[in-house]
Amino acid sequence: MRSHPFSALGRVPAVDGNGKRKLEMTMAQSKTESKLSARDVTPITATPPPPVVKSAHNTKARTKFRVEDLNFYYGKHHALKGLSLEIFEHEITALIGPSGCGKSTFLRTLNRMNEVLADTRTEGRILLDDVNICERRVDVVELRKRVGMVFQKPNPFPKSIYENVAYGPRIHGVKRRGDLDEIVEKSLRGAALWDEVKDVLKKSAFDLSGGQQQRLCIARALAVEPDVVLMDEPCSALDPISTFRIEELMEGLKQRYTIVLVTHNMYQASRVSQRTGFFLMGELVEIGPTEDIFERPQDRRTDDYIRGRFG
Amino acid sequence: MQAAAPAPVSSPETSALLGGKRPVWFRIWEGCQYGVLALSTLSVLLPILGISWFLASKGLAALNWEFITKAPEKQMQAGGIMPALVGTLYLMAGTFLFALPLGLFGAIYITEYGRGSWFTRILRLAIVNLAGVPSVVYGLFGLGFFVLFVGGGIDKMFFSQNLPKPTYGTGALIWASLTLALLILPVVITAAEEALLSVPDSFRQASLAMGSTRWQTVWNVVLPSALPGILTGMILGLSRAAGETAPILLTGAAYFQSTLPDSAHSPFMALPYHLYIISTQVPDIDQKIPWGTALVLLILVLGMNAVASFFRARARAGRRW
Amino acid sequence: MASQTEVKVQASKARQVGRDFSDRFMKAFIHVNAFMVVVSVFLIFAFLIKESLPFFQQRSVKSLILGPSWYPLEPSDTFGALPLIGGTLLTTGIAIVIALPLGVLCAIFLGELAPSRLKNVLKSGVEVLAGIPSVVIGFIGMTVVGPLLQEKFGLLTGLTAFTGGLLLAFMALPTIISIAEDALHAVPHDYRQASLALGATRLQTIWRAVTPAAGRGIIAALMLGLGRAIGETMTVLMATGNAANVPNKLFAPVADNSLFMSIRTLTATIAAEMGETPQGSLHYHALFALGITLFLITFTVNTLADLALHRGKR
Repeated sequence: MRSHPFSALGRVPAVDGNGKRKLEMTMAQSKTESKLSARDVTPITATPPPPVVKSAHNTKARTKFRVEDLNFYYGKHHALKGLSLEIFEHEITALIGPSGCGKSTFLRTLNRMNEVLADTRTEGRILLDDVNICERRVDVVELRKRVGMVFQKPNPFPKSIYENVAYGPRIHGVKRRGDLDEIVEKSLRGAALWDEVKDVLKKSAFDLSGGQQQRLCIARALAVEPDVVLMDEPCSALDPISTFRIEELMEGLKQRYTIVLVTHNMYQASRVSQRTGFFLMGELVEIGPTEDIFERPQDRRTDDYIRGRFG
Repeated sequence: MQAAAPAPVSSPETSALLGGKRPVWFRIWEGCQYGVLALSTLSVLLPILGISWFLASKGLAALNWEFITKAPEKQMQAGGIMPALVGTLYLMAGTFLFALPLGLFGAIYITEYGRGSWFTRILRLAIVNLAGVPSVVYGLFGLGFFVLFVGGGIDKMFFSQNLPKPTYGTGALIWASLTLALLILPVVITAAEEALLSVPDSFRQASLAMGSTRWQTVWNVVLPSALPGILTGMILGLSRAAGETAPILLTGAAYFQSTLPDSAHSPFMALPYHLYIISTQVPDIDQKIPWGTALVLLILVLGMNAVASFFRARARAGRRW
Repeated sequence: MASQTEVKVQASKARQVGRDFSDRFMKAFIHVNAFMVVVSVFLIFAFLIKESLPFFQQRSVKSLILGPSWYPLEPSDTFGALPLIGGTLLTTGIAIVIALPLGVLCAIFLGELAPSRLKNVLKSGVEVLAGIPSVVIGFIGMTVVGPLLQEKFGLLTGLTAFTGGLLLAFMALPTIISIAEDALHAVPHDYRQASLALGATRLQTIWRAVTPAAGRGIIAALMLGLGRAIGETMTVLMATGNAANVPNKLFAPVADNSLFMSIRTLTATIAAEMGETPQGSLHYHALFALGITLFLITFTVNTLADLALHRGKR
């Protein structure tokens, strides 16, 4: 990846469909921004920046989600404060931060799963493909078809492997056995699980190992053919080998889907994601290309977290 | 990375998001389902309202001071329910006498002395089995064991001068009380166990560490805290006992007694049995009498339940730990 | 001085002995108590067997279970409990057919859909229903429900199997609702979340994910409700007419249908006849034989319910 002149500030111009540049800034950055406004933004380095590692951000990528000044309340608790960011298509965007800082909460606003618990209030806009999903007239069921979710603890239904994957399509009206068979195979292949289970589709999902169950949950989410897959700490309950396999899977999945990943493991974030956002106490402190966040964080707090000065 | 060509906002997808893609019949179908669920709940609750309405409208007319204080007259076609009411109260007292120690100490064994022991498992199994015995089988047992076996034995040993006229070997308050006590034992033990378990172990440990014996700990520390819960269970059990007919049918309830019960071996009249008799065996009775009797019985039982609920709420609120 | 301390020490030793004694006494007492509870179960079982054995020495088990005529009057007394068993099965069957769907649907409404204030009110209502004594329900059946049904269906009498079954349904409902609700509550929240995240509506989630997962608990609810209905005495005694006919015509038109005939159950028979039976007679022992049959039936049903509840857990 080439080092962009603006990357030092974590500001990367993104290009939308009309070829216009769009800048996105966090609240924290805008403060830094004003201080530096007079300065030349070109980084002065003696040595050229290190060569491309893994995270590559395609500056021509389309915006999938645009969040504008999102404030979210759980009862009286102000859980998300003034979030503004963009999530780009066909990328893995990782959200990191200490526990309880709002990253899972934010993830669940993207498919409006927060409403399942009572007494929540949302202010601001979340645009999915230019449609504000916070509006009341939005069909939540359709939204959740487009934006799927994989949970922290694998939670397959107490049914057979086949029935787990077929659950979503059945709900949405697919009845013919042939169609369902096709979808099940496609989804299980997409989750890199087909070869392991293709002969035992009738077995209970609970007969699978933890890692396999999580891939089953991924297949289940893929079966409804979403655009986006939200992953809420999908590997935290798994052993390292299963974790590795799922990370490999994510790499492949991003070709077809957009992935937003919440993880408390920042090494995972640096391994798999193209963009990373750092959350702290309900605020989005900083967001940018993963490499930049980890090697050249702009905010002191990001730096502290990455260096492990607080957990 | 694929190069993203600038894509226009796709209309069918957007319009799907904004609702309207799901067919109307689906919404109607779901509406019907909600309707069925609500209707089911309603049909469960309507009978309660119905029963209360009937009892109130037909039975209130009978309720006055005389009804409660006078005995039945004219072969039960008129008069009041006083002996039945008194009999039921005596029966409650007797049941309480037997059920409290058996139930309370049974629960104390489970939580204080026998935690995790194999005998506790057997005890639990016994309680579950007791709970499953039908009430009329309790009646049979009461008759066969208490009245005939134990009562008959007592007669042979202590009252042989009265034989063949039975003293204890016939239906009596004591046998009916014992039978009912067994019937409500599961309720009492379960509630007491719950109440005892809700007392934190740290209390027990603190007391033992000060050098108290186990019994002292139970008596001075655990029991007082668990008291409201135990009381709740006891009252619930007694309200159940008050409404039971089959167990007392064969163990002491009498069609008619001209005097109130005066000893443990007296037969007695009781409200539920009285209701059964006057509604099935007494022709030409003023209808408001059985309705009034049913109403009094219902008020008694539901009243006790309400008191028990009150204690349960007190027990939960009073817990400051 | 020394004597004073000695006295104190003596006094405290005495207290100690007293304390130890009462501790050991109470411990023994409590153990005996617990033992007696267990013994009572065995006693019940033992006495039922003891008093019913004389019957089985004179008549066969087969004649009891399969004999089609219950006629306790001498000299040609026959003790065939088939009509009674049939009566019990019929009323219980009607009760379950009514109460199971109603109860499960109500539990779903209470547990999954009702807002918490409404839920508390409804649950109190169900508890009130549970507390109504069976004799009161039987009374209402006799005086209100029976005549009503008699009118509506043009029957000879309102005291029929159907009436009894209907009333039994309402007695079994609180049990079924309470256990089904527990079963639904025990379904992990994860399943609901997963289903909703896939785009299912709340109702779809309930039918396709939650209820199937609560399957074992619902079976337990069914069994316990069944047990309650089988063992019920006063309600059926007062509302089923007490005619010992074998209910074998279930698919006939209304006028002829066994559903709308008077029948008699095992429980009602015991309750009605025991009072007038001389102790030690064959009739007396026959009633105990009925008692043990009833006990075995309810014991089996309750054990199945227990298995469903506890083996189902992983």
